Amino acid sequence: MQSEPLILDKRERRKLAGEFPDLCLTCGTCAGGCPVTGVDGMDMRKAVRLALLGLDQELIDSRFPWICTLCGRCEHGCPMSIDLLKMMRSARTHRERDKVPGVLHKGVEQCLKSGNNVGIPKEDYLFLLEDLGEELAEELPGFTVPVDKKGARILVTINSKEPFAEPEDMFFWWKIFYAAKESWTTTSENWEGVNWGLFTGDDDSMKEVVRRIVENYKKLECEYLLLPE
Amino acid sequence: MSVHDLLKEYIETGRIKLDKSKHPELTTYHDPCNYGRKSERTFGHGYYEEPRWILQQCVDNFVDTYPTAVNNYCCGAGGGAWAMPYAEERIYYGRVKAKQIKDTGAEMLIAPCHNCRDQIMKSLRQEYDMMDLEVKYLWELVADSLVIEGVDE
Repeated sequence: MQSEPLILDKRERRKLAGEFPDLCLTCGTCAGGCPVTGVDGMDMRKAVRLALLGLDQELIDSRFPWICTLCGRCEHGCPMSIDLLKMMRSARTHRERDKVPGVLHKGVEQCLKSGNNVGIPKEDYLFLLEDLGEELAEELPGFTVPVDKKGARILVTINSKEPFAEPEDMFFWWKIFYAAKESWTTTSENWEGVNWGLFTGDDDSMKEVVRRIVENYKKLECEYLLLPE
Repeated sequence: MSVHDLLKEYIETGRIKLDKSKHPELTTYHDPCNYGRKSERTFGHGYYEEPRWILQQCVDNFVDTYPTAVNNYCCGAGGGAWAMPYAEERIYYGRVKAKQIKDTGAEMLIAPCHNCRDQIMKSLRQEYDMMDLEVKYLWELVADSLVIEGVDE
């Protein structure tokens, strides 16, 4: 089958290329330092060639942008300082939402709907905080979990994994705050600190989740925002 | 505000007191990509020194990994990989991190990231025969080292 010639000056043909991979010298530093080079016969150098040659869709449809952990070691080593992570994340962005692997996109939708990635209802969350607070108070006299405390110095978000599966891991920070006599608070709504839109390449959802956190921060007039991720 | 800046502030200003004798183990540190390379690229500062300093306020016996800091390897579960269905690839990715950790001879590893901690503690330890390795969050290490006025004293 005869394929169309690749016209490299027609930038609009390439979804992922743009300013990113044009500078590639094909040296292979990126691929040489990456632990998943060779998986599915792919590596970062090949990913750059695909994007540059207009074979964007092949990269978007492949597993590679998702097996890559966006760790940035390739980008750090790249002698031309190409935005390799931006390119890979944009490949994720172009994946149809119902084809995002695993639970990530479901988590994003859940977070937009309920305020956290795993859909913990507000009443259950508040009950859990109170219950755990009482448990910790047996060790640390007078300890309580401050919720929606206006004027607290630090607003703290929570990784939903903890209330969902490892609630006692929240004690670590709580003990530190208690020892430091910190003025802190968490919130009754939109307390999720894990923004999966970052991983799925979903900028709009990511911004909305951040906007809600900032809204809490402004409403409660806190000085600092802490995302213990 | 970064967790490192806050913990450092507490220690430097004497707001919290720590007891090093609680953790005599040889301890190493894992650099999460987000606090290191990505923070450096995005905000102009990578958190490499701060967590190591905080760690060494809790532990005397510290050993670094090779390579380290900006050249350190990913745990293998970054970018959401912990929540993705490609477990085999994630574990394969982590083999490099596992070897780095083993090569230090450390008995305890500290990670200031939920994702890295889960990958190392719940996956790499089993997959690469490191079940004797203790894995803690950085703030867990700090919490476990606390000497609390009126409680411990």
